Amino acid sequence: MAESEEEVDVLVQRVVKDITNAFKRNPNIDEIGVIPCPEARYNRSPIVLVENKLGVESWCVKFLLPYVHNKLLLYRQRKHWLEREALADITCTLLLLNPDFTTAWNVRKELLQCGVLNPEKDLYLGQLALTKFPKSPETWIHRRWVLQQILGQCSAADRSKKRQQGDAEQGDAERGVAERRDAEQGDAGRGGAERGDTERGDAERSQQLSEHLARTLHQEMKVCSDAACRYPSNYNAWSHRIWVLQHMGQGNVKVLHDELSSMRLWVSMHVSDHSGFHYRQFLLKALITELSQTPASTSSPQQRCSTAPSSSSLHHSQANGELSEGEAATDEEWQLSANTVLQLFHQEMELCSDLIQSFPGHETLWSHRRHVFYLWHHWRREQQQQQQKGSTNGESRSGVLSSNGDPAPPTLSAQSSACGGGGVNGQGHAAQAMEVDGVSLPDPRDSKRLKTGVRPPSPPALPSEPSFVSGFLDGCCNPEQRRFALAYKKWLDTVIGQQP
Amino acid sequence: MGTQVKDVIIKPDAPSSLLLDKHADYIAAYGSKKDDYEYTLSEYLRMSGIYWGLTVMDLMAQLPRMNRPEIVDFIKSCQHECGGLSASIGHDPHLLYTLSAVQILCLYDSVDALDVDKVVEYIKGLQQEDGSFAGDKWGEIDTRFSFCAVATLALLGKMDKINVDKAVEFILSCMNFDGGFGCRPGSESHAGQIYCCAGFLSLTGQLHQVNADLLGWWLCERQLPSGGLNGRPEKLPDVCYSWWVLASLKIIGRIHWIDKAKLRSFILACQDEETGGFADRPGDMVDPFHTLFGIAGLSLLGDEQIKPVNPVLCMPEDVLQRVRLQPDILS
Ligand SMILES: [Zn+2]
Repeated sequence: MAESEEEVDVLVQRVVKDITNAFKRNPNIDEIGVIPCPEARYNRSPIVLVENKLGVESWCVKFLLPYVHNKLLLYRQRKHWLEREALADITCTLLLLNPDFTTAWNVRKELLQCGVLNPEKDLYLGQLALTKFPKSPETWIHRRWVLQQILGQCSAADRSKKRQQGDAEQGDAERGVAERRDAEQGDAGRGGAERGDTERGDAERSQQLSEHLARTLHQEMKVCSDAACRYPSNYNAWSHRIWVLQHMGQGNVKVLHDELSSMRLWVSMHVSDHSGFHYRQFLLKALITELSQTPASTSSPQQRCSTAPSSSSLHHSQANGELSEGEAATDEEWQLSANTVLQLFHQEMELCSDLIQSFPGHETLWSHRRHVFYLWHHWRREQQQQQQKGSTNGESRSGVLSSNGDPAPPTLSAQSSACGGGGVNGQGHAAQAMEVDGVSLPDPRDSKRLKTGVRPPSPPALPSEPSFVSGFLDGCCNPEQRRFALAYKKWLDTVIGQQP
Repeated sequence: MGTQVKDVIIKPDAPSSLLLDKHADYIAAYGSKKDDYEYTLSEYLRMSGIYWGLTVMDLMAQLPRMNRPEIVDFIKSCQHECGGLSASIGHDPHLLYTLSAVQILCLYDSVDALDVDKVVEYIKGLQQEDGSFAGDKWGEIDTRFSFCAVATLALLGKMDKINVDKAVEFILSCMNFDGGFGCRPGSESHAGQIYCCAGFLSLTGQLHQVNADLLGWWLCERQLPSGGLNGRPEKLPDVCYSWWVLASLKIIGRIHWIDKAKLRSFILACQDEETGGFADRPGDMVDPFHTLFGIAGLSLLGDEQIKPVNPVLCMPEDVLQRVRLQPDILS
């Protein structure tokens, strides 16, 4: 065992090298860990590579960490010079052992800015650190910074391409729009590969850019999922996932739909994960917002797979004088959109009911019900207001609400299955109702009403929630379930009941 | 599948009285183990660590036991060219440690050890167009950083140097349907973030913007049968979350909505009778962080052996009187 300062120096330098070489030897390392091993054995390296797992024997960590820690701080105080390569190796070792060491991530940001490191490699290092420290706030923060860099590069490439094209082939009005759009994207620090519908020349490059961003987005979702599986209700992982959608998938209805369908199974298997359910609420809200704002272009999700902010496409059509044409198409579209939203609510409430019945006593599920109900309540109120507006100035934007506008199907009232039993059936039912690819057909009853334009006789009431709750209030119910049901009832009566 | 309520069971032999002397000894000894591996591991947040230790010592009227000149010198050497402070020497400056440093210097009544104008410039420079604050020059946005910015400026009496209206606007954009707040717009409500946002709105005189009944409801639902509070649904109770929830309830005038006696016994059960200090939960390892929030929580619950603590800044009330800062509290 090493003891003198010099011996420690030699040992540690060798270990840092071993780690660097392990990554060179196997670029597919997918997990890191510390191997419990109180003392050095034989004369072999404490770095162990088994399949794609990189392990560090625990005895050497107490030498390794203080060494790389002090080296980096001396460099930061300009008391000790380090070459860029050495700096990259040292920060790598340091961050795999202590990923909340903010300054080490900052050193890597500087190395990225001067081109010594590339963004993908740093995303990979963070991904590895998260296998051992799935919450590490500084690792998530660094990822967001790196992603901003990638978005910035894509946006710059996109911008220069557009400018060339604008000069070459577009008319004055068109160019004004394109520049304004670019300026918007630049301000927000986000890039976006546009659909490339107006451009012909550089379509291929635009395609590449957009594919690169789509791959990055997909990979990021995977990193979030892994971290969410490693630590329950992982706030940092889920809020990062929201950030990614807000910055890389804004207005992208297809991505939102895909996320919603893939999350369905995940939440069903993690019924205590409040953060996972919050993410679902975020997706629902984002989808509803998109569907309510731009029904013409969003009712068919496949049409919109760009990463461009939705506002830019709006600007675009307005400035091109397409507004009236778009408006003419909207009545049908509005109805379709509203119908899709209604379906989303139906499915979500059904899922929530099934889970509550199958997994009694989970606060997360009841909290989810509150949020979904709240979203539905507000959406419905807005629809009613639009209806009223529509009927006063003679427009035909009506009938978007079915007379049974409540998202919870009456057949799901819980009396039969609240006290156990029926849970398995409920699961099966949910599986049948699951969307295949994020889009599902509207409930036939609703579309019939929509087509004939039957106007609901009076604003829909909320009859089925109280009956859902009442199934859990009798004596034979699980006491926790009963407590949550009572709290939900009180919430409905006071919070929803008191709203204008 | 049965129900498992996520909670702890407090054993009958768990500590039930406050062991003040042990806690003071524990904190006094903590700073002397500087060669410790653990100590190296936590250097990246050293400034906050010192704030936790000194504040809990002051709340127990034991501040004179700490090495004042050494600490003030250390803080001075952590101020950077840009005006911001870092967690330790050689680390990069950040709003988190800038607030901790100013809090410590307020305890010692020696804010002038710093170049205050530069601190103010640093904070001002981190405000974004939408009113939010970046934590440092690399641009991460979080409601915690908004709190750090206004708390530091309030302690320095320089709140007028930033765009307060815009800053408030951003915080309100992070409010959720349940009355709580998350780290950014659209993020899940979280007791730690709620504490920061409630504290922020108190310091900026905007508490009327909170839906106190709705938020109070969510906060009260954090109390578990053991008496401890968690930070989000279906998480375990924790002494630090107990502080954040309790302080938020105090700020919005709803502290009487929880069972105070039960919370007190949960916090007391988190003490280590042998080593001193508090852990997150009964039986776990103690640390200075949970020791501060254990003591501060007991103070908010009215324990008269401890100095009164301010719920917004987590500092002794007498210190805030000295700097003439009285953050708003709803009644
Ligand atoms: Zn804690």
